[in-house]
Amino acid sequence: MSHVLTFLFWLAIVLVLTFITLPLLVVVAASFSPTSAVTFVPWEWTFDWYGDLLADRWLQPFLLSVKIATLVAIISGVLGVLAAYAIVYERVPGSDALMAGLLSPLSVPQIVKGVAIVLFLSIIGLQGFLGTPALIAAHVVLALPFVTRMAATSLANFDGNLDRAAQSLGASKRQRLQHIVLPMIKPGVLSGVTLAFIISFNNIPLSVFLVRPGDTTLPITVINYLEYSLDPVMAAVNVASMAFILTVIFLFEKIGGFSAQLHGGSK
Amino acid sequence: MNNIDIELVSVSKSFAGIPVVKDLNLKIPQGEFVSILGPSGCGKTTTLNMIAGFNTPSAGDIRVRGKSQNRVPPERRNLGLVFQNYALFPHMTVAENVGFGLRMRGTSRSDIAVAVDAALRSVRLDGLAARYPKALSGGQQQRVALARAIAPRPSVLLLDEPLSNLDLKLREAMRIELKEIQEQLGMTFVYVTHDQEEAMAMSDRIVVMWQGVIAQQGEPVSIYRNPATRFVADFIGRSNILPVKARNGGPGFLDLLVDGTPIVLRSSHTGRSTSVASCCIRPESIALMTDPAIQAGLQNRLDGVIKRIVNLGAQLELLVEISGGLNLTVLVRSGLSGRVPELASTVTLGIDPQEVLVLSD
Ligand SMILES: Nc1ncnc2c1ncn2[C@@H]1O[C@H](COP(=O)(O)OP(=O)(O)OP(=O)(O)O)[C@@H](O)[C@H]1O
Ligand SMILES: [Mg+2]
Repeated sequence: MSHVLTFLFWLAIVLVLTFITLPLLVVVAASFSPTSAVTFVPWEWTFDWYGDLLADRWLQPFLLSVKIATLVAIISGVLGVLAAYAIVYERVPGSDALMAGLLSPLSVPQIVKGVAIVLFLSIIGLQGFLGTPALIAAHVVLALPFVTRMAATSLANFDGNLDRAAQSLGASKRQRLQHIVLPMIKPGVLSGVTLAFIISFNNIPLSVFLVRPGDTTLPITVINYLEYSLDPVMAAVNVASMAFILTVIFLFEKIGGFSAQLHGGSK
Repeated sequence: MNNIDIELVSVSKSFAGIPVVKDLNLKIPQGEFVSILGPSGCGKTTTLNMIAGFNTPSAGDIRVRGKSQNRVPPERRNLGLVFQNYALFPHMTVAENVGFGLRMRGTSRSDIAVAVDAALRSVRLDGLAARYPKALSGGQQQRVALARAIAPRPSVLLLDEPLSNLDLKLREAMRIELKEIQEQLGMTFVYVTHDQEEAMAMSDRIVVMWQGVIAQQGEPVSIYRNPATRFVADFIGRSNILPVKARNGGPGFLDLLVDGTPIVLRSSHTGRSTSVASCCIRPESIALMTDPAIQAGLQNRLDGVIKRIVNLGAQLELLVEISGGLNLTVLVRSGLSGRVPELASTVTLGIDPQEVLVLSD
């Protein structure tokens, strides 16, 4: 009986993984296609399409996306930590309502949010903010719930006795935040920030309303390109941005990768 | 009289209207090892947290060397604190943990290094300075926590059940070490525990707490020898407690009539003759009389039958049923020369009137 269950368990895992990775593998394969059709011929392949990525047409949107995602990660990181600090650590009056408010954007579809932001900006006469500033603001709204949630969870799991121990050793509140609280919640915050970066970098539904023609983010550029042509450059773009995201995740993991020290000892 | 380091004046604390600590008055002299001892939930941690500043008293005043602390935040009280779960900073090495207090005070690097070395040596942990806490055993972590607390040389160290996560052998070894460290440093220790053996072994003075009030305080021996209440007699050490009525027993004696039995016990504790409600006899102060010659002249002589024998290693614990269906617990040395007590055999018990302690409740 248990053999059957074990078998079904592994079958499910293999199926899920296949379902997730097979399309990706097809895209990767297609990016090496020797013809301009999106195909894959195992014995003939070329790197030419990747060369095309260095053209301004792809490089500019990529740099814009990186710039926006970086700023979104930083801004939502700072705001998320501050919000979590007020809600969990200081327990300001109405902290539950505050948390609910911060999480509320999650319940609005992105398309609705996009339309709302465009309408809002034009009603108050700030159409000039469309483009990069609006993109950054919108992505921050989108990413903030995740960052706040993750920072809040880290803070809630933080052993209050550590704070008390530091206090009894003469550490002021500022010193405790700097030397104890922040280092302890760093892994959670870094995960949140990584997520914010990815959310911004990959976003389409919200960005599509906010970009300025000729100054588009990478995913929007891909969408626009797809309307006219489907060739292996597309696949190459996707593979390259996938590789980029994986690198970013890896780097953040490295920076915050002292999780080994966090377990054992005191809890 | 020594200087008073810490003084609690009519301190009370309620949580959501429920009183947890009630009108506590306590003076802790400088350099003493004082244990706050009591069962779980009696308010020990709450009291310690009020001294440390993490809880604000609902009423009353806490003074450190005469100065009221009610408006002083914990970080400026200059009291060391050792937690039951150690609360070591997991992202810092042992040396960084121990040096933390001095670093926060802006002490120079070289002075910190010297102080850390000294503190680690005093808890016998030199050589582990570069390790992270998770790479240490429980006992080592507890020593680091201790070193961290004493490194800034606070005047008072507060310890909340610091040994309760350690195994018995280590706990017993650490008792002696803690006491030695305390004596070497001449620091005032306020030690919270629910383990009466621990408190007896280490303390200069024990404060027995019960349901938020002090049941009794004094030197360990005097509390053991003269428990003030039934609770203290029961909680500190083992005891046979019998409800009694007192009657004058002639000069220097009190006769205690054990309720519901014809037994009369003679006690030489005449101080509280009017208010006696029960008496306490420690199991080890009941003697098994084997010599008929001695039996004859005994003040308190009881005959009984052994109902149960528990071998505790060095001692045997006997349950003896005496007349009136009363059961007495008796402790005797196992290596007792001569006859070994046998189950269901008849024995004669002797109790010195000195050992019949009187209680007022
Ligand atoms: N923050 C709090 N809010 C409400 N009640 C509390 C709080 N802290 C403690 N209490 C209550 O006060 C009582 C005393 O708690 P305290 O922690 O002082 O006990 P203790 O003597 O240290 O017990 P233990 O030996 O189990 O640690 C308990 O009944 C506890 O439930
Ligand atoms: Mg406690």
